[in-house]
This record gives sequence, structure tokens and C-alpha cells, in this order.
Amino acid sequence: MVARLLDLITSGLSKYQRALGALGVALLFTACGAREVVVQGNFPKPLMDPLPLTVAVIYTDEFAQHEIFDEAAGRAESDWLVKTGDAQVEFWNTLLNGMFESVVQIKDSESLAAHQNTVDAVIIPAVADLQYTIPLHTNVKIYEIWMKYRFKMVALEDVHGNENGDLSINPDRYFADWTLTAYGKTPTAFLQSDEEAVNLAAVVALRDAGANFATSFSRVPDIATWMNEGLPPAPSEEAENTGATDG
Amino acid sequence: MAKMLQRSLTAGLLVAASILQGCVNATVDEMTFLEPTEGIGDASVVIMGRRHAPDYETEFDFIECIGDHIRRGDNSISVLHELEFINMMYPWFEPRTAPLRTDDIDKLLAQQRVADRFEELKLEYMIWIDGSTIETNSSGSMTCGVGPGGAGCFGFGTWGNASDYEATIWDFTDEIEVGRISANTSGQSYMPAVVVPIPIIAPVQGTACDSLGDQLLKYLSAKM
Repeated sequence: MVARLLDLITSGLSKYQRALGALGVALLFTACGAREVVVQGNFPKPLMDPLPLTVAVIYTDEFAQHEIFDEAAGRAESDWLVKTGDAQVEFWNTLLNGMFESVVQIKDSESLAAHQNTVDAVIIPAVADLQYTIPLHTNVKIYEIWMKYRFKMVALEDVHGNENGDLSINPDRYFADWTLTAYGKTPTAFLQSDEEAVNLAAVVALRDAGANFATSFSRVPDIATWMNEGLPPAPSEEAENTGATDG
Repeated sequence: MAKMLQRSLTAGLLVAASILQGCVNATVDEMTFLEPTEGIGDASVVIMGRRHAPDYETEFDFIECIGDHIRRGDNSISVLHELEFINMMYPWFEPRTAPLRTDDIDKLLAQQRVADRFEELKLEYMIWIDGSTIETNSSGSMTCGVGPGGAGCFGFGTWGNASDYEATIWDFTDEIEVGRISANTSGQSYMPAVVVPIPIIAPVQGTACDSLGDQLLKYLSAKM
């Protein structure tokens, strides 16, 4: 249909003029399409003395498939879809494995049962907010990504497996709950597309999140208390089923 | 005949464009002490850019340019690649965590793995470069067009650039600052266009790189 329409419009023109016309129409449609970035990067293992802890990590579906969709504000702009989920999981796996003596991943009731009595605590990361800017928004030649994470820690005994395999945690049982922010920016560079620049800014933000987490973990008051005094978590209450994630 | 003349003119303009350069003013200040009189031997040096300021960051390619300049001047000096070093030392040299003063080196070395890595690398000097190159002004206009007979531009554009960099040299073994070198350069670039645009570029950042590179080479090398 589109090809016929193009043929109709461009009939009578030379081959080159038709080609140019087709290119122009293609560019016009490209400008209006959604722009997608699947964040990818190589993340180094942290160089630090591992804490003598065995931790389990639960990546919720929301975290592992995290993405942000930003609808275009005007005709001159494009929709943006930034998928960070895969990169988040890859990055935090690398970081946590370097920070702690041992790290296991709990996905469902089965993996929960397999690690009973072998884990000191469970970490549950979440992306609380993500914002980005590109030069079109700010008129500054810098691409930026700002992320806010929320981390929660709970004893393994307070994570419950349901019959359908999902995990549930009573929100009152978290013994540490804190947020941290991360920021990544990259200047415009010659022959670098918007997508490449947003990807690079996201990778810088992830690295910044890791640096922030690694250097502040032991200083979070609840964590410091737990690590120094080995205080047991609060008394158990009836677990609240929250599907695959926490409450 | 007309085509030949046009081709000759285009070729001439391209040659002129590759030869012509805008003028650059450069000022270099140096204050160094405890110079290694016999060079740095088999120890290594790392040159890194400061990137913690919100409004600018020292360009990676500028750091690479200085490193290449030093390697070219004295190939016995082992200059570590910035990105490889940052990855190797993650997360201790990220914008958030990088040491800002020599006093912070002790905190870094308190981590046994970090101390071991520094020893492996035989790191003697850490050089921090802080600054950036900015566009100071721009004016003029240019119009380009494509037609069945060819393409061409007409107009005139001019812009200014300014570089302002400071290198701080840390002696990593003694954990002290042993020098500061700054380079300020500025220049005006021009782009007249009559059919073919002729860029007359002032190599502002390149001059800053050469100026800082020369001074650092003089400090580190036993040959100079």
C-alpha cells in the first residue's frame, strides 16, 4: 500500500529523484518513531575485601524487567523506551559477588528451600525512580540519567514460599530499608547517536550506584547495628502474601 | 574547460584547508619539586581526569592525548591506560569515590586488595587533570544546498574555543603532592565557504595537550 502510494506520488520523476523522495519520506517516519535503548555494558568486579557474609538476593520481576517509557511531548520529539532490567541484574550480580563472601539468588520456593540455614540475610533491590535528559530537553550538550534505588534486607526465615512457587515477605519484617541515588552523564560526542549516549549515561549511573552501595553499605545504621551487634530481626508476624515480590 | 577549472579550484581549496590553521594563544604555568632526576625506572604512571563537577568533565580523549604524548617522548615511561586503570580499581576511582587529596590515599590503601593491586602495578605517580575545553563564542551563517548539478555551500562562520587545564602530580609512594602545571589556551576558528567550506581550525585543545604533555614529560623523563 505504502509502496503503491509512493509510486503514485513519485511517478514522472527520475530514478534519483524518486530515491531521494523515498529517503525523505523514510526520514520523516523515522523521526516520529519510538527510540529504544536496551542498556548494555561491561561491568568490572569490585576490588574490595569481601564481607564475611552469605547473602541471598531476590530480583523481583519489576526489577529484572525494569524499563522506562517516556511519551513524546510534541511532534518534534520521539517516544523513548529505556530498558535497564537485564543490565541491572548483570551489574548487581557482579557487584554483590565481589562484595560478599558468597551470594545466592532466590527466584522461587524451590531455590528458597535449597538455601535454608545457609544465608545470613536477603537483599531485595528495587528501582524507585529513573529520570533522564537528552540535549533536546535541556539545550545542554549532556545526556544524563538519574536513578533512585530502594534496598531492603530481611532474614531468610521471613521469606516464605507459596504453593504456586511465588515468594512472600511480611513488610514489617525488614530489618533494613534504605535508599540511594546514582547519577550518570555523558557529553555529546562526534558520531555518537542519542541511543548510544543514553546507554553510556545509564552504564555510568549503574557504576555510580555500585560505588555508592559498596562504600556506604556498612554505614547504613540498621546494617551497621546488624553487622556489629548481630541483633536478631524483630519477632515474626504472619507473612503477607505479596505475589512474586515483597510488600 | 570550466569543469577542469572547478576541479582545480576544489582541489586547491582542499589543500589549503588541510594546511591552514587558526592561531592559538597558550600560557603554561609550572610549579614542581622533588623531580625524579634519574627518571621513574620501571615504575608506572597513571593520568586521570577529574569528573566530579556537575557542569563539566575532563575529556577522556584529552587524557589519552597527554598519555600518548608522554609515551612518544620517552617510551621507557609506562603510562597506564586511564579506563583500564579505573576498571581495574573499581569502585575506588569513580567520580563519587576518587580521592581528592593525598590524605585520602591512606584510606584507599587500608583495603588490602587495593594496596596489593597498586604494588602489582608499581604505581609511582598519579597525575590528575582537571579542566575542559569550551566554545566561547560563535557567529556567522552558512547555507548549503543540493541540486541536480551538484552541491555547495555559501557563507562564513567563526567560533572561539578556550581550554583551561591543571595537572596535579601526586607522588604515590610518599603520598604527597609534588607539582602543579596549568595550561590555558584559546583560539578562533574560521570557516569561509564558497561552494566548498574551508575550515581553518585553531587546535586549542591539541595545543593544551602538547603544552601539558611537554611539561609532564620534562618532569618524568630522565632523557630531558
